[in-house]
Amino acid sequence: MALQEQPKKKKKIKVPKVINGETTLVEVEVDDTSGPVWGPKDAHTVINHPIRRVDGPAKVTGQAKYTYDVRVPGMLYGRILRSPHASAEIVSIDTSPAERMNGVKAVISYADKKQLKYEGDPVAAVAAITPEIAEDAIRAIKVTYKKLPHVVTPQQAIKPDAPRVFSGREEADLKGNLRPGETRGDKAEVEAALKTCDAVVEREFMITMQHHACLETHGIVVDYNGGPTATVYASTQGTFTIPGEAAQTLGLPNQQAVTAVVEYMGGGFGSKFGIDLPGEVACQLSKKAKAPVHLMLTRVDEFLMAGNRSGAWQKVKAGATKDGKLVAVSATQYRLGGLAEGSQAGIPYIYHAEKVYREVAALHTNQDGSRSFRAPGHPQACFPTESIMDDLAAAIGMDPVEFRKKNVSDPAYHRQLDAGAKAIGWENRNKTPGGGPGSGPNNALKRGMGCGCATWGGGGGPSCQVDVFITPDGGVVAQVGTQDLGTGSRTITAAVVADEFGLPVEAIETRIGHSTYGSANPSGGSTTTASLTPAVKDAAYNARTQFAAKLAPMLNAKPEDLIFHDGKVYAANAPDKALTWKQACAALGMAGLSARGEWKPGLSGNGVHGVHFAEVEVDTETGQVRVLKMVCVQDCGLCVNRTATESQINGGMIQGLGYALYEKTVADPFTGNMLNTTLDEYKLPGCMEMPEMIPIIDDGDERNVVIGMAEPATIPAAGAIANAVYNACGVRVTSLPITPDKILDGLAKLRKG
Amino acid sequence: MPHDKDELSRDGGGLSRRQFLKGVGLVGAGSALAADLLAPETAEAEPKPLQEAPAGETLKKGFLPITLNVNGQAVNMQVEPRTTLLNALRNHADPPITGPKLICDQGACGGCTVLVDGKTAYGCMLLAVDMVGKQITTVEGLAQNGQLNPVQEAFVEKDALMCGFCTPGFVMSVHALLQSNPNPTLDDVKHACAGNVCRCGTYPRVFEAALAAAQKMQGRA
Repeated sequence: MALQEQPKKKKKIKVPKVINGETTLVEVEVDDTSGPVWGPKDAHTVINHPIRRVDGPAKVTGQAKYTYDVRVPGMLYGRILRSPHASAEIVSIDTSPAERMNGVKAVISYADKKQLKYEGDPVAAVAAITPEIAEDAIRAIKVTYKKLPHVVTPQQAIKPDAPRVFSGREEADLKGNLRPGETRGDKAEVEAALKTCDAVVEREFMITMQHHACLETHGIVVDYNGGPTATVYASTQGTFTIPGEAAQTLGLPNQQAVTAVVEYMGGGFGSKFGIDLPGEVACQLSKKAKAPVHLMLTRVDEFLMAGNRSGAWQKVKAGATKDGKLVAVSATQYRLGGLAEGSQAGIPYIYHAEKVYREVAALHTNQDGSRSFRAPGHPQACFPTESIMDDLAAAIGMDPVEFRKKNVSDPAYHRQLDAGAKAIGWENRNKTPGGGPGSGPNNALKRGMGCGCATWGGGGGPSCQVDVFITPDGGVVAQVGTQDLGTGSRTITAAVVADEFGLPVEAIETRIGHSTYGSANPSGGSTTTASLTPAVKDAAYNARTQFAAKLAPMLNAKPEDLIFHDGKVYAANAPDKALTWKQACAALGMAGLSARGEWKPGLSGNGVHGVHFAEVEVDTETGQVRVLKMVCVQDCGLCVNRTATESQINGGMIQGLGYALYEKTVADPFTGNMLNTTLDEYKLPGCMEMPEMIPIIDDGDERNVVIGMAEPATIPAAGAIANAVYNACGVRVTSLPITPDKILDGLAKLRKG
Repeated sequence: MPHDKDELSRDGGGLSRRQFLKGVGLVGAGSALAADLLAPETAEAEPKPLQEAPAGETLKKGFLPITLNVNGQAVNMQVEPRTTLLNALRNHADPPITGPKLICDQGACGGCTVLVDGKTAYGCMLLAVDMVGKQITTVEGLAQNGQLNPVQEAFVEKDALMCGFCTPGFVMSVHALLQSNPNPTLDDVKHACAGNVCRCGTYPRVFEAALAAAQKMQGRA
């Protein structure tokens, strides 16, 4: 998505620069274009600084209204009856007991479904006056199922005589439950190259599904009473993904009939686009009841029908020479995405090997289909790659950081590996796996360090239309239909406008999350910041240009010589004759000013790099792993909000920590049921598991363009932690999560030799 | 945990209306008693005495009017015996009190943390009818006259929130901690928030905010 620019003429402009609170004007050279440019990274008054979230106060007081909190008159609560079986047919369904209940206003049945293919597949749904009565109604529905054979583990699914997940036409390109995908490279060449290596490692890696576990479950509130229009409140990553789908499901003529509202949303991580299953059901219920319906998935629903990060089953063989060169890699990768395809990046991921062979396939099971989840496919490729890299480094007796540097040429990684190593104290790392002295009783506590690298796109594109309004009383509004997932898009929208006008962030009112505002892309692929901020910049620039043209005569200056800074407007050569912001706005007259902006090339870039380092302590008596410290060095071009960027880095590390040590989908091969569908049983990292965390924004990145970084910050954690465990106790755990049983098993094997 | 009948009548043999209602609410659809109260046919608002009730007590079914004291205000609402405090606040109070969040509905995440007579409690683990006569404080009750309290201020200042859905719960846990322990260590903060879950990963900044708020409050005192 990176659009190349022609080389541009340069021009010199004066910009205010704040050093220790003192403002001076400095001359800088920028591209001579008629459009907006960011200007020097260190010359900003707002962006590239720590910025307080503009919606912080609303969130800490409970005033922020999420979809879950929306209440509209006459609203009903929806509930979904889930299939209790991984594979079944509906023999009969009797919804009449539910229909007869007081307080139940609509019941729909999905009895016409030919086959239920996963536990959680909707069977029926109700809408009632309270959630409790809706729950009663769901329980009152009588369903007779014919259970069919299922597969819910990859080991079951791969067997030649395994029950088939898909049948009939769906089965066309399948070999059993395996859907073969691409093959790259020459296997024979790789095998031949491996023979020339000084060290060869072959391992099998297994990663279970991870759940998004958004704290606000998936769902929508459909405010529809049977008329020509509807308003839909949605917990979504895409405001504009809602109206079309909702209109279609409600039977309204087109998307203009539906207004989508996404004021606040409680986490998505890749799983919330479109009206989705709960939205579809809610629209159907609302249409039937001719009344508004609030349908938020229950927590159990959320685990069973809101998607997951596909698991992975990979066989990897790699070889290196003594001088630290990764020579050849062969990988067979099965994506475990349940009913969906899953996603899987290649191996050796960011590293270069001369010969690479890769074979990818999807192995289907009777489980809810996977969805995109924070850097889809990358953590699944990073963990095995980084594990193998460490094994090879150990085999040839080379420092793992050194070995990595020899096999990746991009200087960004070299810079980041050095910075991360320094921050974690890499020089204190014990040099042989399991070779540290140990501490505590029986010297059972062993410490170790590990690292891993990541890459991501994060580029922007033309999708946002931003409006800036300035009112004669000094008000500034920035308006765009984008959504804020918690990444802080509301704040950066305000920040870019504030930066342009030399105002504090709080002076800008940001209106987002409404489909009647200017369009915006859905937040996927870390594309929001790089798509949104150039459009905001353009709108603010256009507004400033108009504003300057109006004010120039008053200040006896040319429009381009006006400086907007510190709540004042003045000519560059006459800072003493400044207008206050309010005085300047009063000059706009009754109509005020409005300007629209769109994404422009040259303000955003593409491609980010990041590294993680982890230090762990392994209790070799209990197998418990405690992460002591995590470091992430992440670049993002021009950082917009340093505070929120660091928070995103922390969040990425923490989700990666969960992926590495705690989070696991337990599917019972016998019943076909997922056994841990609650937050008690599906372990998310909590306060007690928090290590010291060091988020580092890589300021060595000289690119002066905005690039998204939220997703990559989670990728290397599992690899870094697995390597730290290996370094601590000598056990190479090749499956996630790294649970105590695996450590103890590994230690026992080491003792046996 | 479902209570059985023996447990319900354990202390003192008698079964007050309040205890009975509590038991029924917690039993769920499994037992004969609960099945009667929860059965669809009985969901209308008409009082009917049950044989099990001690003389002089009347068991209510369907919706009954209660008044809760929430953030210093009397809040009237109609709830069922089984309605949790959390659902009562969110779905039955008018205007709805939606600061406490429904996330797990089983006491596993802390998103619905409120204060009951000054102590933290999970709103999803309490029955609304049991809360009559108690002082309930939700996150909406912390700011005074539009001024954020020091904990809320620190959360904003330290960026101890991202999507913000867990934030009300964390704010309440930290607020309660600082009421009882004005000078906490990092470990104290971790323990105080151990019942709160965040998915965006705000923990390190929640810790910072809690410690910063404590310092600020001490400075003021």
